[in-house]
Amino acid sequence: MKFTLVKNLSQDPLMRPILLGLLLCIALYLVVDLVVKHYGFGILPSAVNLTLFGNEDEYIDAISRTSFLEFWHMEIFFIMMILLTLCAVFIRLSGGRKRDKIIMNIMLLSALSSLVFLALGYFVSGHFIEAYSVLFIVWHLTAFYMVVFSIRNLYRA
Amino acid sequence: MHREYQNAIAIFSLFVILLVLSGVMIFIEKIGLSVEDIMVYYLGSEEKFIQAKSFQGLLKIVLPHTFAYGLLSMVLLHFLIFTDQRNLRRSKILVFVIFSSAFLEIVSPFLLLRGLEFFAYLKLGSLIVFNLSLLYVSYLLAKSILDSSK
Repeated sequence: MKFTLVKNLSQDPLMRPILLGLLLCIALYLVVDLVVKHYGFGILPSAVNLTLFGNEDEYIDAISRTSFLEFWHMEIFFIMMILLTLCAVFIRLSGGRKRDKIIMNIMLLSALSSLVFLALGYFVSGHFIEAYSVLFIVWHLTAFYMVVFSIRNLYRA
Repeated sequence: MHREYQNAIAIFSLFVILLVLSGVMIFIEKIGLSVEDIMVYYLGSEEKFIQAKSFQGLLKIVLPHTFAYGLLSMVLLHFLIFTDQRNLRRSKILVFVIFSSAFLEIVSPFLLLRGLEFFAYLKLGSLIVFNLSLLYVSYLLAKSILDSSK
């Protein structure tokens, strides 16, 4: 077996469909994550607040500390692995333009800070949840843009 | 290290710190940080009305962690190849320490259930070593990135 470094991914007949599959899976993950969060944990601040702190009037229990920590822990792991994979593909397919680097940094930093704000929202003050919601949407949108951009570059002659 | 990857790896290192922090918080919340707490959590306690963990219950926790530990360790450690740490003996030791401590951290609760109380110490020790090693590799990566951008 010969292990070679593929220099031009978009010109390689095997790497192109492989990366397309990977990028489509990441796009699907991003969409499904939004849907699942919308119906489960919540995306908008009001829904997230309800999940984290419950509501006595509606007899909704607050999430337990252990459940929250487990949720947070899994989110961190999934997000870091998916975004690192996406970045690796994006860097190889982008032309190294400054704009692309900025977009990638926005995505990574917004994802990281959304997780920090989520924990701050639960442990410190509910006010941080608004920041979490905004950053959660920002990193999903930028990640989706990076997927679309990578697919476009993959098939550009 | 390739300049375009530097930011992604630097932020990945921050994610690792957050992951370690959340893992330790869960451990403290669910089990506790003393050997006695670990024994009570796994072996149960009549006084505290805590049931002993079952073999199947442990497997449910271990299954995703086995894959996650391996993947996380491999991804984080392979970044060392792109740094000036590549050919150092210390890097090889780190690889050995991280994978061994991950293995011991996963296996020790099963042996503790067999009545071997020594493994409560091993569980706590391997958890501390594993997490500190991950943080140390993150530090080495961050240092390498900062040094190369000067």
